[in-house]
Amino acid sequence: MNAVTGGGAESPEGGPPGNAALAVDGLSVAYGNVVAVHDATFTVTEGDACAITGPNGNGKSSILMGVTGMVRRRGEVTIFGAPAKNGDVRWAARHGLTLVPERRQLYPDLSAADNIILGCYTWTKSIGKARRSDSYGRAVDLFPELKPHLKQAAGTLSGGQQQMVAIARGLAANPKILAVDEPCLGLAEVIAKRVYDVLAQIHAAGTTLIVVEEAPRRALTLCNRRVEVRNGMAANSSPRSTA
Amino acid sequence: MKFGNLVIAGIVTGSIYAMFAVCVAVWYRVSNILNLAVGDFAMVGALSVDNLYRVKGLPLPVAIITTLVVVAAFAYLYDQVVLRLAQDGKRPIEGIVVTFFFTFALSFFIDGVAKMLFGSDVHAAPALWNGTSLTLGSLNFTRAGILVLACAVIIGGAFWLYIRFTLGGKALEASGENSVGARIVGIDTRQYRRLIFIATAVIAAVFGIVESPITGYTYLSGATISLTGFIAAAYGGFRKPGRALLAGLFIGVLEALLGGYVSTQYGDTVMYAILAALILAWPRGLGFESAVSG
Repeated sequence: MNAVTGGGAESPEGGPPGNAALAVDGLSVAYGNVVAVHDATFTVTEGDACAITGPNGNGKSSILMGVTGMVRRRGEVTIFGAPAKNGDVRWAARHGLTLVPERRQLYPDLSAADNIILGCYTWTKSIGKARRSDSYGRAVDLFPELKPHLKQAAGTLSGGQQQMVAIARGLAANPKILAVDEPCLGLAEVIAKRVYDVLAQIHAAGTTLIVVEEAPRRALTLCNRRVEVRNGMAANSSPRSTA
Repeated sequence: MKFGNLVIAGIVTGSIYAMFAVCVAVWYRVSNILNLAVGDFAMVGALSVDNLYRVKGLPLPVAIITTLVVVAAFAYLYDQVVLRLAQDGKRPIEGIVVTFFFTFALSFFIDGVAKMLFGSDVHAAPALWNGTSLTLGSLNFTRAGILVLACAVIIGGAFWLYIRFTLGGKALEASGENSVGARIVGIDTRQYRRLIFIATAVIAAVFGIVESPITGYTYLSGATISLTGFIAAAYGGFRKPGRALLAGLFIGVLEALLGGYVSTQYGDTVMYAILAALILAWPRGLGFESAVSG
């Protein structure tokens, strides 16, 4: 087990490195009559850092929403070889895929610590187990700058601190694949760099990363693969090339 | 010691208002629906226990348990059938219709059924703790009042512990604060909506049973209870159970003092005037702004 993703939750069956961590085949997501994603097909190999790039409004976030089960989808999603249940976030989390959503989606009146510990809800309902777990401890340790603010209400933190809380909450779920949606939206450059440093640490510790990013240049400092989305269609690209 | 006794009486009624306000506020946090039927569950609790015990001749514990089970089952069915269709379907109904009308209709429905089953006379569940009032110096404590307070402290305390010290309680708060964020960590917000709806219905019924010996209920009593709980909850912006609790106690004490010193007849009128004046004077501090802006 590596430094970031090890922990107490039961692990899904993981293949040896080189296996597909996430396979998406013919994914479509629609909101009412509006089709956001049409027939997206790509795979993410275990250990990859994969960037999903493309202009705003082209369905990048909807791909993650569909894959993680936040919205219902059509098409096949396979997480470490197991076909994912449609619309079931908990299933995806328990099989190793956790989402750090766009605009963070924290609980503003709860403390930063409570926000992070709720990430453990995907695998336990015991607050004691959650507090003692490695995944919670490591998630908190990764952000020393959050330590003085852990008791503060999340809504009163700065944008950068909130993003860190959101990433820490994602890590508390003990993911094998961490999907991060627009992690630097609205952040100052220096904070954005810090966020990417942390993502690089998480990746270096063995977690497969998927980063949705409007700015491909920033994403490609970290990512070795790229999925380019245009008009709701996605296609695998070769490493560090542009489609 | 008229003042002391009025305050005690006020705290007893206030603790009931407080519990109903907390029920309204907690469920609103989870579901964004205002439960206008919470008082009707209290009324059903009281009148059903009275009916099963006095008319049908069941032993009191059996009457109480049967009543609570029926209330819980009914709340479960209501959630499964009505709320599921309204909120979880392909085209969820949103806005003011779902916020008010579903439970408003439920309130009328329960009243109608109660009138059919229990008639329209004043009844009350039998007193659970018989005897004269307990005195401490010149202060009087009615036994029913003590029972009400004890229930409020136990249920309120258990709920506070649940919120404060369990992951489930934090998940409940999280689903009220941000339902998208709650779903991301695998919290089933529908399950919490159902759980809290059933729990508040049962809690309301319990309070109806312990309180009805003090005031007596008819099939129409639910609306008044709901209204006061609703107003107290409004003082917490409908989302802050702690504030709703304080507001409930405050309203209870205010009502008792006005009844004692101003007029029993016009006490309520004066009270609502004072409550309205407070809202006008201090809307933001009392949380009304957050109630409006969500």
